[in-house]
Amino acid sequence: MSHHIEGSRNSCALHGALQVFEAIEGTVPVIHSTSGCGVQHYLGGTRLSGGNDPFGSPPVSSTNIREKHVVFGGGSRLREQLKNSVKVVQGDLYAIVTGCSIEMVGDDVPAMAKEGVDQDWPVIYTNTPGFRGDVHQGYQLALRALIEQLPGLRTESVAVQAGQVNILGVIPNQDPFWRGNLQEVARLLEAIGLFPNLLLGDGQDVNSWHQVPGAALNLVLSHWGEQSARLLEERYGTPSISLDGLPVGTAFAALLLQVTEKLGLDPERTNGVIAREEVRLRQQFARLADIYYRTGFQREFALVGESALVVGIGEFLGKNLGLLPRTLVITDNPPESVQKSLAARLGSIVPGFDTKILFSEDRSEIADVVRTGKAGIVLGSSLEEDVAQDLGVPFLAVSFPLFNRIILERGYAGYGGAAALLEDVGSVILADSLIHSV
Amino acid sequence: MSGKIGKHIAIYGKGGIGKSTTTSNISAALAESGYRVIQIGCDPKSDSTTILRGGNDLPTVLDTLREQSKVRIEDISAIGFGGVLCIEAGGPVPGVGCAGRGINAAVEQLQDLKVFEEFKPDFVLYDVLGDVVCGGFAVPIRDGLADRAFVVTSSDFMAIFAANNLFKAVTKYAPSGGARLGGVIANSLQAPYAKSLIDDFADRTGSRVIGYVPRSLTVAQSELYGKTVIEAVPHSDQAQVYRDLATFIDRDEDAVIPRPLNGPELKKWAREWGDRIFEVEAGVVHEMGSI
Ligand SMILES: Nc1ncnc2c1ncn2[C@@H]1O[C@H](COP(=O)(O)OP(=O)(O)OP(=O)(O)O)[C@@H](O)[C@H]1O
Ligand code: SF4
Ligand SMILES: [Mg+2]
Repeated sequence: MSHHIEGSRNSCALHGALQVFEAIEGTVPVIHSTSGCGVQHYLGGTRLSGGNDPFGSPPVSSTNIREKHVVFGGGSRLREQLKNSVKVVQGDLYAIVTGCSIEMVGDDVPAMAKEGVDQDWPVIYTNTPGFRGDVHQGYQLALRALIEQLPGLRTESVAVQAGQVNILGVIPNQDPFWRGNLQEVARLLEAIGLFPNLLLGDGQDVNSWHQVPGAALNLVLSHWGEQSARLLEERYGTPSISLDGLPVGTAFAALLLQVTEKLGLDPERTNGVIAREEVRLRQQFARLADIYYRTGFQREFALVGESALVVGIGEFLGKNLGLLPRTLVITDNPPESVQKSLAARLGSIVPGFDTKILFSEDRSEIADVVRTGKAGIVLGSSLEEDVAQDLGVPFLAVSFPLFNRIILERGYAGYGGAAALLEDVGSVILADSLIHSV
Repeated sequence: MSGKIGKHIAIYGKGGIGKSTTTSNISAALAESGYRVIQIGCDPKSDSTTILRGGNDLPTVLDTLREQSKVRIEDISAIGFGGVLCIEAGGPVPGVGCAGRGINAAVEQLQDLKVFEEFKPDFVLYDVLGDVVCGGFAVPIRDGLADRAFVVTSSDFMAIFAANNLFKAVTKYAPSGGARLGGVIANSLQAPYAKSLIDDFADRTGSRVIGYVPRSLTVAQSELYGKTVIEAVPHSDQAQVYRDLATFIDRDEDAVIPRPLNGPELKKWAREWGDRIFEVEAGVVHEMGSI
């Protein structure tokens, strides 16, 4: 069934793939499509995710195809662009991503990539026209390309540490807090003696991806990483742990224990780490107590975002902080089977409390349900700021797109994320209470 | 389209059915009787107008797009038999690019070049590739480019199937200003039942047959000389058949929205004809309707 979507926050597959390749150091994406695809990526994707956007115009190589390439095929244009890219930018990997027009025409992109490989250029490709899906499918397609095509480019064997854990399911920029989230996951896994392979972000390069097959475990932090984990299990027999939600605060303890058991680690060490983190979290709660009661912290909330974020933040606010989930909106279109289990899980955050759960990416539908449900605080993307204003309640921007927050290191995962969330939620509630007491 | 110069006619039909041969002979016949005619081949094979111009090389419209050069009408057209202006849209090599979009781009290019304003044709004939496989090949009958479409068919089921598909396209676009159906041209008639089969199909679909072109050696012979029948053997019966077709298209401007058969109807219709033909072949003496 087709219907009209207003103000979508899910960009197209091409952008999802680009977001992956741009987060791997030394990777040069080459867009094979019309020029607008790259521009749109800059305007719609990178610029609205907490800063971190490239300086100036989008520095992405693109074939910028024209009508003649549609009619006669764009193969030779791609060949030329690939050659130029290799000449101009020294890369460890050149990743071709295709857009709609080129896929309608049916260009033989694999053959072009192979031509590059035959000249000893490290080239992979992925077919990512917008009609194949949105940013989430693009993420999956990019990972699939990396998993399936990189091994063919490897020239020497790659050493891998025992206890390496690949982190999957975090989509750069679609989660504005992706860097901080990954860092916190890494910190806690390292604390129990593991070697996290974050794969995306600062310091992550093509070699990180070459190390993927040797991991002891794939840790999947959203539904969108599951396909890749399955592929890796089929190819290398790597086991995985899959989470529906970002583990925030105490939820991380459960994960650490699960990993410890799965990999046969020293439980004492893990328990020590958990105890230390829990103490810190409790102290933070305690310090917040005065404001908590003074400002009427405990209130109903509406939360709008990707499934992993809604589960993670929603459960933390509901189970650990005593807020009440009035309206939860999931915007990343998970498949129906996943929706069912998500709905069940989210519906029972606070047993007996009636939570409205909506799966939608339609801005006005989301605004309507948040407005109707009312709440004492709204957490969502910048697109939800208006409705919070209408309701006259505090607002915190936590999901894509973000118009007015700079996010360099901040994350909401783990214990560090719990503290950040306490600070951020607390700050907007406090600020709001000051306005109302004047 | 108001202010359109000349009568614009699109000719469709299954691949290899005789579109280019028939169109070229109609063009030749119209030219012979004094009309100014343009024939535009809308087919990447670029062989529509070959027998009008003795088989010489002709750069296609889309070649100009590939080269991105500034072109003049003279560069992409040739004057053929009787002064017919021959144009080939051109397209990509098989298996690459999008020929459908090519037709679109070529037609736009011709409009930019003001070909019709300059040449002032009485008739423009579009010879369009095979089945209407995608939107691109429907361009001549969409957008009000052509006023009338004709379909060439033989009595082979696949040719009828393609004709029925064209009817579907006409039905889709005609209400919003697209071309209507002028009729069916029955070509390469040989089998004894061919005429009645095509008549019956036209009947069922609210269409009509505007001419019957027999299968003839004269056509093959003329083709070998690189000529139309009109030019090579002007006094033959076959030439007269093409002249009659041209006259009909000139004089009778009736055009309808046909009623294409749907899948099951077409299958049922074909099976009935299969049975009848089998009985004829098997020598069953039977009063066979119109056969
Ligand atoms: N009435 C006829 N009698 C004998 N031969 C014919 C007749 N009509 C067409 N042919 C022959 O059939 C062959 C195919 O004809 P033609 O090229 O006109 O078909 P077409 O429909 O234009 O094909 P395409 O779809 O490939 O463009 C030619 O060799 C032509 O000489
Ligand atoms: S939807 Fe298609 S045309 Fe639009 S940006 Fe994505 S790939 Fe490009
Ligand atoms: Mg032809």
